[in-house]
Amino acid sequence: MRDYRWLNLAIAFALSISLSMGLSQALAANNTSNTSDYNWNLPTWMPKPVVPEDNPMTTAKVELGKHLFYEKRLSITENYACASCHKQSLAFTDGKKVAIGATGEPHPRNSMSLANIAYNSVLTWANPLQTRLETQSLVPLFGEHPIEMGMAGKEEAILNFLQDDSKYSQMFTAAFNQEPSPVNISNLTKALAAFERALISVNSPYDRYRYGGDSQAISEAAKRGERLFTSERLECFHCHGGINFSDSIKHERLAFTEIAFHNTGLYNIDEQGAYPPDNTGVYELSNKPQDMGRFKAPTLRNIALTAPYMHDGSIATLEAAINHYQVGGRTVDQGKWAGIGKNNPLKSEFIQGFELTSPEKSDLLAFLRSLTDQEFVSNPSFANPD
Amino acid sequence: MFATIFKFKKIIFVAIASTLPIGIYTTSQAQNSTQKTVTINFAPKVGKQPFTCSNNYANLGTSATTVIPRDFRLYISDVALIDANGKAVPINLEQDGRWQHQNVALLDFEDKSGGCSNGTVETRNTVVGTIPPGNYQGLQFTLGIPAALNHADATLAASPLNLTSLWWNWRGGYKFMRLDLENQNTALKQHQEKEQHQSHGDGGFPIHLGSTGCEADSDTQQPSDCSNPNRSTINLQQFNAEKNVVVADLANLLTKTDLNANQPDTPMGCMSSPEDQDCAGIMNSLGLAFENKPASGQTFFRVE
Repeated sequence: MRDYRWLNLAIAFALSISLSMGLSQALAANNTSNTSDYNWNLPTWMPKPVVPEDNPMTTAKVELGKHLFYEKRLSITENYACASCHKQSLAFTDGKKVAIGATGEPHPRNSMSLANIAYNSVLTWANPLQTRLETQSLVPLFGEHPIEMGMAGKEEAILNFLQDDSKYSQMFTAAFNQEPSPVNISNLTKALAAFERALISVNSPYDRYRYGGDSQAISEAAKRGERLFTSERLECFHCHGGINFSDSIKHERLAFTEIAFHNTGLYNIDEQGAYPPDNTGVYELSNKPQDMGRFKAPTLRNIALTAPYMHDGSIATLEAAINHYQVGGRTVDQGKWAGIGKNNPLKSEFIQGFELTSPEKSDLLAFLRSLTDQEFVSNPSFANPD
Repeated sequence: MFATIFKFKKIIFVAIASTLPIGIYTTSQAQNSTQKTVTINFAPKVGKQPFTCSNNYANLGTSATTVIPRDFRLYISDVALIDANGKAVPINLEQDGRWQHQNVALLDFEDKSGGCSNGTVETRNTVVGTIPPGNYQGLQFTLGIPAALNHADATLAASPLNLTSLWWNWRGGYKFMRLDLENQNTALKQHQEKEQHQSHGDGGFPIHLGSTGCEADSDTQQPSDCSNPNRSTINLQQFNAEKNVVVADLANLLTKTDLNANQPDTPMGCMSSPEDQDCAGIMNSLGLAFENKPASGQTFFRVE
């Protein structure tokens, strides 16, 4: 009896292994479209982004995503695309104080750059729930407060035009070729996400200097600016550190995902730390008092191209942005949102203010401008395909 | 060795393959013999009047506002009948691939006509399922979607959880109820402004009920915990499924709310935000706690 039991156990064990091997082989054979043929074309110093297992990168999918990114029929007015607020020439921002949706409704927040979005552990300015590009794109597509693309309730119209358009029906089939009916909202968001992940910016003069071994790639002023940027006096690097100049980051060499939000003392309406009610940061989602005014530190790559600055576009220039940090928090003199941001009780401990001479400020600006990647903003593979 | 494994594999496969269908068959047989079909009828009303998208409704809320409906849909879940001992016996919802999925049912009172142009033509005012025969005296259900389904991937969800107009992706869930009302005066004013080529703001009083204060564990996508789940359990006494209907009454829902006003610096209407006082009366009528005010009995649903 006893021997039999052991034999049974051994057989069951061997079976489960051989079954699971067989299963994974079968799955692999069935899923050729899921085998990534995508070439990231990254310099060796840059780690690969983490890609969700259910949405591997393929060239067909990235190509489809690009067409969808520039597709105006994805808006209620048929004259608005993702690209309307994310223009390549401005590192995929729009130059506006706040984004304006398809129907003309202003968004409370400034359009964010999509450069290296694949390396972002958390998406948008301050929503801890948005960690997948595939899900995040549903907000601009179908959200109603505010209306961005304005397609809530119009999913059938979207699927109809995609199915009826021979270009799209071919591209969906190419990108999702194992699926009997590949045109669906899930695949639409997967393709958009794949294209967004392809938007990688690693060819700034600073990259050539810092990682590429070209000591002449940036000016002496920019090199002095880099030292200021990474100094304990200015503390910039605490939140804008690392390969993407942001402390909310993930990539394949990171063992841990970092997600961080900070109150930088932009506002202090009631002396308790309040921010304007349509821009309360993480607080909007969590309703926790300590989350008031906490926003993500965005990447500083291409920062010279992405003015105006801050989550609400309330700082017009890089010089003024430096001033805000230099004084340790902005003072709003008058109006509804008046208050002394410097005294915001919820402010990050790294925003203490610092001394900075005028030549030093020029150096810091030279450094920030060396983060502009001209190749990224002119790369035809990211441009409107039509 | 390998040959032996393959032989065993085959045997086990055959064994599993042959027992599985039998298991399913016997279960469904057993269910069929002890279950009866039950239909719960709902009726949307505004006071005594039936609700339709083509009517305007006067005298609503604390300012006696006239409204034009734009949308009226809601999800209910965990529907049960209450037996004579007060025990809730769950209704197994018919899995129709359209209106009902697992333990969730969509009630859709708009038909895309009139002001409801962004809705769907199809309507639904029943919940259909099976339950063991018994002496049932009451009805219980939850207004809302259970957490497990509320935070799953909406793009892959089954009907009726795949309607984009009921998604609430920003908050990582669904709108449990969507009741969009336009203030007739605002609509008139907007019309006049348009005529004069002036810009105009958003009008009306949309009510979107959903979970707020949701947090995700680390970087996983699905929120695990919401400080305001905003799911209301509705208990209705003396309910006979064959004779009674459940009335969802907008007039009662809005009785404590001023539809002509909007708290400054908050979204129009009520977006379930815990700081928006425009939600206070509505949450109260739904039997939900709001701010520091504890829940009291709901007044939105009644038996007729």
